[in-house]
Amino acid sequence: MSRKALLWGAGLIVLALTLLAGAAIGETRLPLASVARVLANHLWQAGYPVDRIDAGIIWSYRLPRAIVAASCGAGLALTGVVLQALLRNPLADPYLMGLSAGASTGAVLVSIAGFGAGALSMSAGALIGALAAFAAVVALAHAIPGTARGTSGAAAIILAGIAGSQMFNALTAFIIARSANAEQARGIMFWLMGNLSGVRWEDVLPAVVVTCLGALVCLWHRHALDAFTFGAESAASLGINVPKTRGILITATAVMIGVLVSKVGAIGFVGLVVPHAMRFLVGTRHQRLVPASALAGAVFLVLADIVSRIIVPGQVLPIGVVTALIGAPAFALILMRGAR
Amino acid sequence: MKCMILAVASLLGAVSASAQTHYPLQIENCGRKVRFEAAPERAVTIGQSATEILYSLGLADRVKGTSVWFNKVLPRYAEVNAQIPRLADNDPSFESVVARKPDLVAVQYEWHVGPNGVVGTREQFADLGINTYILPADCDTKDNSTGGDGTRVGAFDPVQVYKGIRQLAEIFDVADRGETLVDDLQATEARAVARAKALDLPKGLKAAFWFSSADIALDPYMAGQLGAPGYMMRALGLTNVVQSDEEWPTVGWESIAKADPDVLVIAKMDRRRFPADDVEEKLKFLRSDPVTRQMKAVREGHIVVMDAHAMSATLRTIYGLDSLSDALAGMTFQ
Repeated sequence: MSRKALLWGAGLIVLALTLLAGAAIGETRLPLASVARVLANHLWQAGYPVDRIDAGIIWSYRLPRAIVAASCGAGLALTGVVLQALLRNPLADPYLMGLSAGASTGAVLVSIAGFGAGALSMSAGALIGALAAFAAVVALAHAIPGTARGTSGAAAIILAGIAGSQMFNALTAFIIARSANAEQARGIMFWLMGNLSGVRWEDVLPAVVVTCLGALVCLWHRHALDAFTFGAESAASLGINVPKTRGILITATAVMIGVLVSKVGAIGFVGLVVPHAMRFLVGTRHQRLVPASALAGAVFLVLADIVSRIIVPGQVLPIGVVTALIGAPAFALILMRGAR
Repeated sequence: MKCMILAVASLLGAVSASAQTHYPLQIENCGRKVRFEAAPERAVTIGQSATEILYSLGLADRVKGTSVWFNKVLPRYAEVNAQIPRLADNDPSFESVVARKPDLVAVQYEWHVGPNGVVGTREQFADLGINTYILPADCDTKDNSTGGDGTRVGAFDPVQVYKGIRQLAEIFDVADRGETLVDDLQATEARAVARAKALDLPKGLKAAFWFSSADIALDPYMAGQLGAPGYMMRALGLTNVVQSDEEWPTVGWESIAKADPDVLVIAKMDRRRFPADDVEEKLKFLRSDPVTRQMKAVREGHIVVMDAHAMSATLRTIYGLDSLSDALAGMTFQ
């Protein structure tokens, strides 16, 4: 067996074990035997007697939650890879580009200001807000003169992201200040920091499909992504249709982010940190970077979700708190090692 | 009937000289001395509880503006309430309150009027010569310096509601009406507790109160131990499956299902901020979610619908206690 296949096998086994951990560990303590029995009952119709509520918690709450967390982790890491390559900016990350600000604005518009009341759920509001902010930021970055070429483009996107984030945060603050109370502010936190508690099986298919398709698009364009790392001009000189490829990749990113945010809110740091960590481990070639980042992002987010559920007894932390608490020092470490 | 009792009581109050308030009246209120030279003529309320207490004391004619509504006003005050300007459904602005030229602002929550009040501080009102009174239920056993809704440091007890009623009655020189109202509420309370006791409920019967959720399947806002629902459960011999001391902590459905409550109380409210504000949506979720529908309370239909306002520390808490006790009487536990 080749080394590559071995690594792949190991990676997938780690992912499977992580998913199992996600099904086994949660707010309440359930015996491991129950976990095994419930899984056996569902996967092989084993027919073990198990408590119906235990079975429901493991199969209907925890397992879909773990799978969606894995999809989100993979998807967020992939969007980080794509944005960092396309924008030639190591800081590019959906979260920094106004995504969370937009998602929270959308959510407050629906829940507090009563936009589309009844017809739109908070998650739909968050999705629309996230996509709108993302589009606004990308458009603004492109409108800044000189973005298409040269190094100023790399900074432009971050500046546009800051401007967009500030504006959407101000809008959110405006709406909350006008009418919200403590309970609403807490509700908005779900979208600001991410939360997987509402995930059920019906969320699994869209999350997995969009992430897998996103991964395929990224893999398909792995050479283009390599070329973009050296700038749009070098990509063009290599015979890549720059506007078209960029359009496809940005669209794939936006769709992935949109679907994932609507399921779990805006989770930061995964898209930023995971690609950096993986570049450090597997190098900068996208043929390896894309699958490695997807896998690592998946494992990371499932683990972060487990931590968010057990770190404070009797209370679930927003997952974004955990990803930032782990992600920020990890990122600092990467920066320091990279500088050496 | 209640109205009649109140009316008779107020007549009695008018002839009884012993309960008259002697001005200037000075009382200690939520860490501050408040002094009244005479009974207030123009009151503005911030908080439904303050509004309904004044109505219940027969003082509707002195109320010149209301704000912060959770539920519809108690039916018996619907007519009188319709005549009084509603400054805001939620937080009124400082100026809209001041513009009503009140000599008293009666407040339910310290986070509206208090050291960090979103409407204003007590000093701001005092500077304009406006007295403020905060219902003790929101400060006697509560630390409001923690931000947001504040944190209860001791268990809610209706005694705090009664204190608020009596003090407001004294401020307005209608002490006897206050006593009558408190007597009435205490009788309701005693009846509810006695009824539940007579049921001889199984020991350790578990219950939970679901207020709302930020989104239908997300971790719900459940009642903690120390708020009004905690009091109701203790009074009726039920055990709250939620351990938290916070007033409305978010608790995962996993934890609630695992605790498997025998009785589930769900809040009914008029606001539609979140889908789960709707009782029907709550019921639909409980009956369709693969885990919650396995809970004993859901399988056996032991779900009680209660006004959200009763789940806050208000005079409605007593009515909530009564309706919960009544609902328990209609249930069978094996």
